[in-house]
Amino acid sequence: MSELQLNDVRKSYGNFEVIKGVDLDIKTGEFVVFVGPSGCGKSTLLRMIAGLEEITSGDLTIDGERMNDVDPSKRGIAMVFQSYALYPHMTVRENMGFALRFAGVPKAEIESRVGEAANILELGPLLDRKPKQLSGGQRQRVAIGRAIVRHPKIFLFDEPLSNLDAELRVHMRIEIARLHKKLATTIIYVTHDQVEAMTLADKIVVMRGGVVEQVGSPLDLYDDPANLFVAGFIGSPKMNFLKGIVEAGGTHVRLPDLGNAIIPVRVKDATPGSAVTIGIRPEHFGETGSASLDLTIDMLEHLGGETFAYARHGDGELIIIETKNGRGLKSGDSIAARFDPAAALVFDADGRRLR
Amino acid sequence: MNKGSTRIAATIVTYGFVGLMAFLSIFPFVWMLFGATNSSIDIIKGRMMPGGALATNVSTFFTQVNAPLVFWNSAKIAILATILTLAVSSLAGYGFEMFRSRHRDRIYSALLLTMMIPFAALMIPLFIMMGKAGLINTHLAVVLPTIGSAFIVFYFRQTTKAFPSELRDAAKVDGLKEWQIFLFIYVPVMRSTYAAAFIIVFMTAWNNYLWPLIVLQSNEQKTITLVISSLASAYYPDYGVVMVGTILATLPTLAVFFFMQRQFVQGMLGSVK
Repeated sequence: MSELQLNDVRKSYGNFEVIKGVDLDIKTGEFVVFVGPSGCGKSTLLRMIAGLEEITSGDLTIDGERMNDVDPSKRGIAMVFQSYALYPHMTVRENMGFALRFAGVPKAEIESRVGEAANILELGPLLDRKPKQLSGGQRQRVAIGRAIVRHPKIFLFDEPLSNLDAELRVHMRIEIARLHKKLATTIIYVTHDQVEAMTLADKIVVMRGGVVEQVGSPLDLYDDPANLFVAGFIGSPKMNFLKGIVEAGGTHVRLPDLGNAIIPVRVKDATPGSAVTIGIRPEHFGETGSASLDLTIDMLEHLGGETFAYARHGDGELIIIETKNGRGLKSGDSIAARFDPAAALVFDADGRRLR
Repeated sequence: MNKGSTRIAATIVTYGFVGLMAFLSIFPFVWMLFGATNSSIDIIKGRMMPGGALATNVSTFFTQVNAPLVFWNSAKIAILATILTLAVSSLAGYGFEMFRSRHRDRIYSALLLTMMIPFAALMIPLFIMMGKAGLINTHLAVVLPTIGSAFIVFYFRQTTKAFPSELRDAAKVDGLKEWQIFLFIYVPVMRSTYAAAFIIVFMTAWNNYLWPLIVLQSNEQKTITLVISSLASAYYPDYGVVMVGTILATLPTLAVFFFMQRQFVQGMLGSVK
């Protein structure tokens, strides 16, 4: 049974529709990440699930019960906010027990649950401190602890790592993954960082302009994106997009921006002469493969284990190439970037994937 | 003139100006202190030294004035006005900032416009209103017109902008109703703002003169400011006694300020840390 369902859920502010009909099934214990650029509606959708924003139309059900008009505290959810939202006048212990105190939970039970959460998150020594006496990472752990003590059916995380520095982000990301494994509770997590989405999610929901573009496992979205937007959004560095024209027979594509190079990419059901976009991930370039592009290296980024070469043909767009053997490369070098045509993805003029 | 001497001249002018301002601020206070120790004649002569008439002045003040009663009257009015103003104005400021409605900004602008109306223009209608309500010569008549302070509403709305909306969201998820969010989250988080507003409102209410003069008619209802004024306007005013009264009237506001000055400064700088 699906634990959380969204059926044609919409949200409008006056005449302006920000969520344009979302259908989604989230199963018990799943780690679902809403990802998308700023303004895509992912946080609004999360807040609608939390009950902090009204649902204009459509249905939200949790465990089969319609929740549209149910108070946030009665939905069986707990939320972790981007700015932590810890009550500054309360100690860590009081912050964590506050919701339980309001729910009329006996004092001993509150103490026990706070202690349990503090153990899980290693917050024991900090319980009597105020939020201002804690570091960013500690505050985030308290915010998570405050959610844990409520024993929610669903955890909602709204960009919880955005305020942390890079090192702490990685650390907290691992903590959250570990926590999910330990608690086995459903988590809905919002982020604009696709690395967070890829590393944490069982299922990613890619959003743009209030619409769900694609839902799938991280590797499904990476290997098999439904459209140009998802292909470009998932993966770092980004997928390379090359403008192409389908040749007669549909077995080859000509690349006008790359000196009219012809590559053996098959395009099904395409009219010869129609415009397509070829997508190639940076790691798919190599020294072998039947397709080849003549490029000149513009810039190099040596990361130690791998190298990113930014190359172009003439004055064309930059193409990113990831290689393990890039230490000998120099800016200005001419290279033949080869790839297997089977690894190339083809998109039509509207950005839809042609399979 | 070279750069060095220009800088010295600028420093002299700055210090001179600051010194003059400091003198103008401190002089009445010093004069009040010295005046309380001198006889009325010495004060009129302009004596600016401590004198030996303090005990006489204090004794005369307590003979002429029913001090416990007038201080009680002042305290009652000031505390009541402060508590009610803070309660009403902070709720209004919170409401204006937190809740969106089509007419919010129009209503808020209208409220701010009331600050432009001089009190002299409101005195007569207010007096008639209080008369019809049967409140003339009561302390409630002094308190009621002060509690809907547009300035304090404005102050609370501006400081509420720094109140993180996520705290309100977190409280909603924790199961708090709107009034509980206000009482258990907003009020404690904004305590510096309340402290600053407390000082401003308390001082204004304690020093209020014109409106109490109009509505309080019997001696049993009068406040310390009215009593000092009546001492000063006697046929032969005893300035030494007036100064003693003034010092005593200043003490409560000074005490409030000293107890709350740290919170006051924080409140003025922005209370949410």
